[in-house]
Amino acid sequence: MWKKLWKNIFAWFDERLGLNDLYKATLDRPEPKGNWWNTLGSASLFLFVLQGLTGIFLTVYYTPSPDHAYDSIQYIMTGVEFGWLIRGIHHWGASLMVMVVFIHMLRVFVTASYKYPRELTWLIGVGLLLVTLGMGFTGYLLPWNQKAFWATTVGTAIAGSVPWVGEFILKALRGGTDLNALTLSRFFSAHIWILPVMLAGLIGVHLFLIIKHGESAFPEKED
Amino acid sequence: MAGSHHISRRDFIKLATLTVGGAIGAAIGVPSIFYLVDPALEAGGKDAWIPLGPLENFEIGKPTLVTFVRTKVNGWEKTSNSYGVFVLRKSEEDVTVISNRCTHLSCRVNWNEEKQTYICPCHDATFSLDGEVLGGPPPRPLDRYEGEALKIEEGVVSIFFTEG
Amino acid sequence: MKEEQKQTIHEKYQRALQKGERFWPDSIYKDLVVSFGIFIVLVLMAAFVGVPGEPKADPSDSSYVPKPEWYFLFLFKFLALYGQIPGIGKIEWIATALIPGLALLLLFVLPLTDKNPFRHYTRRTLALTVMGVFVVSVIALTMIANVPTATDENGRMTLSTWLQFLAGLILPGLAYLVLIALTPLARKWGVAARKAQVWSATVASVGMLALGLVVMLTAPPAAASEVEVAGTVGEKMSLGMDLYSVYCTECHGVDGDVTVITGVEGLEGKVVSPISSSDVMYTLTDETLANIIAYGQQGLGMPPFGRAYGGELSPSEIDYIVTYIRYTWDDRAEIPADAVLTSIPELAEGEVPSYEIHISALVKRYCVSCHRAGKDNNNYLMTSYDEMLTTGDNSPVMVAGDAESLNLVLINGTEVTDPKTGNVIRAMPPNKLLDQKYIDMLTLWVLNGMPNTAVEAQALSAPTPTP
Repeated sequence: MWKKLWKNIFAWFDERLGLNDLYKATLDRPEPKGNWWNTLGSASLFLFVLQGLTGIFLTVYYTPSPDHAYDSIQYIMTGVEFGWLIRGIHHWGASLMVMVVFIHMLRVFVTASYKYPRELTWLIGVGLLLVTLGMGFTGYLLPWNQKAFWATTVGTAIAGSVPWVGEFILKALRGGTDLNALTLSRFFSAHIWILPVMLAGLIGVHLFLIIKHGESAFPEKED
Repeated sequence: MAGSHHISRRDFIKLATLTVGGAIGAAIGVPSIFYLVDPALEAGGKDAWIPLGPLENFEIGKPTLVTFVRTKVNGWEKTSNSYGVFVLRKSEEDVTVISNRCTHLSCRVNWNEEKQTYICPCHDATFSLDGEVLGGPPPRPLDRYEGEALKIEEGVVSIFFTEG
Repeated sequence: MKEEQKQTIHEKYQRALQKGERFWPDSIYKDLVVSFGIFIVLVLMAAFVGVPGEPKADPSDSSYVPKPEWYFLFLFKFLALYGQIPGIGKIEWIATALIPGLALLLLFVLPLTDKNPFRHYTRRTLALTVMGVFVVSVIALTMIANVPTATDENGRMTLSTWLQFLAGLILPGLAYLVLIALTPLARKWGVAARKAQVWSATVASVGMLALGLVVMLTAPPAAASEVEVAGTVGEKMSLGMDLYSVYCTECHGVDGDVTVITGVEGLEGKVVSPISSSDVMYTLTDETLANIIAYGQQGLGMPPFGRAYGGELSPSEIDYIVTYIRYTWDDRAEIPADAVLTSIPELAEGEVPSYEIHISALVKRYCVSCHRAGKDNNNYLMTSYDEMLTTGDNSPVMVAGDAESLNLVLINGTEVTDPKTGNVIRAMPPNKLLDQKYIDMLTLWVLNGMPNTAVEAQALSAPTPTP
């Protein structure tokens, strides 16, 4: 009885959403014999989702202003139930994500998976690595502590050393000549909106290309 | 394989995948709920004796508004909240203290000298001198500080106030 | 790429699929197992390592040595080494923009420039060796990132700096040149050239790592500057109380109730408002208090304490003092339940106090504000056990077992005339005598021979009767 009801409900949704086709196209795909090194792409995606979730949770208490940023994070760490866990995962997840994305890139390089027909997948992958580093750079400032403040001062000054346009880039990054409230709020905006949206978009294309061309096979001696 | 008690390798992998996925979901999900609702778990309702002033400050027969400020730590910020009570001295020693918070939706009521009623500006509720409901939506009379929550010591009126 | 080449690639891939597996559940299972492992690592890191505490940003602190996140350290070090090169090192943008930009461009266009049709590692010597050298150089640069580059008094680079150059710039640079130079030879020499590439990459890599290790191990240990960071209100109050004892007690007294300053050089007899009074507590906000501490009230004689105005305190430290003051003296502020103040331990019946446990806490709270270096205190310092016993113009001021020791006389409220200079030595502390129980504690300590450690004091204490 229940089985039949469930079947009917599923059939109704399937007719309208095409669940079965979706399942066949995305999940029930044939693949070359797997290798543990090939899991790093998914691990990057997992970390992206985890960073997204914990990041959203952090914004529940975090306040991006020089007066409150530091205190609000102290509060998350000591005043909020499991705040240490959420921030701890986000903090270490950032480091791990950079590492995993980089090793993933090395794997693709070593197995030469970037060659025909997957050139575009690689290109987008390099973009993903860059945006991930951008996330690390913008997120580093948000706690507004000594380390954050001075590292970002130096980091943005590096951008300022570019000939001719350096001064302009520096002011655009900092929202002024020095680090100030505008810097914090634009880094915050970049960290929670601009870069994640770019990241999500690029990941979408990256995944589409993987499904389109299939996962690359491990090269054999004659390859 | 229908009816077989052995599960295939494929089914085992599916089961293991779902288990691992569920474990991650639970490990992040359950703490997250506590994290999100944390302010609701804080023990609230700090209480203290609040001195309202010496008896002679209050004119007999006319309610006097006394306001006081309580600071509270919310997160990383200290917030000052202002509270008010009407002190009504009926005779020399007989004092009634009524909260100025409307029992309907917490607007602050005002004393109208002409009509001899408390009027709530939000939904036009009216209360009598003793705080009883005369008209409008409020479900119960204005809160009173009496008995254990009210004391007059050395001529000073104090109430036992609990933050709500 | 020719059409038939593409055809072979596709056919080969189809054959690989035949022998392969399904994405769900075979691959997803593996993916999830790895992700689960990563997740466990993260939770363990969050639980057992945590996020290291850091004081609040202080734009006025120009002495802070900034450090980027670890994954940018290699770039940071690369810039530092590059900057030491004479001449070209001054053209900063070559290292900050040009070289990283080129490397990134190379990475982007890799699939278009790599014309080698083969995928197996045995046939991609150049690509793999170059990438290998790059990765190892990144590791080596990260390893030595914390070791400073330095020049000696003659302006020449130190040995360590030379080694860093070798490991971080010269070896990888040479390796790239050799690897690229060997490539055209591959046609002539065949396998021999490939072998030479692998060997040179290996030698360079081992060299970089070995040099990096040597530099790292021979570097003088960096002075670890421990900064205490408070999280909860309780921790802030504890740190704030210690800071108050050192910086504020001198003029405002332990309880903040001093109205006329006594015993402070240059401020003798100045009238101050009692800072613990409700007049001050009710009218000055935390921000105002912090500003007063940072800037001082120089017209009234209060010096600036904030680093931005030439004092010693950071914004975090000023915040701790304000928190301590607020929660201690403002009767409207309720101390959170978790706040535990480190008070001076009480003595048990028959217990002899020790410097370690009792006296250091007592002295820190009541005496150190004046009796530290740089203050007018007859050169009597009290910041350590030895200082307490040996310093001072009238040393020794405390003699084991002597109830008439100068210090004991003074804290009991008797003024003494200095036999050498004829000056009057004031009763101590100058603005208000200690609680009788603390006077007794100090007296007991002196009479029992001033034990330093708790163990020594324990030996002197009357044995507690055991039931």
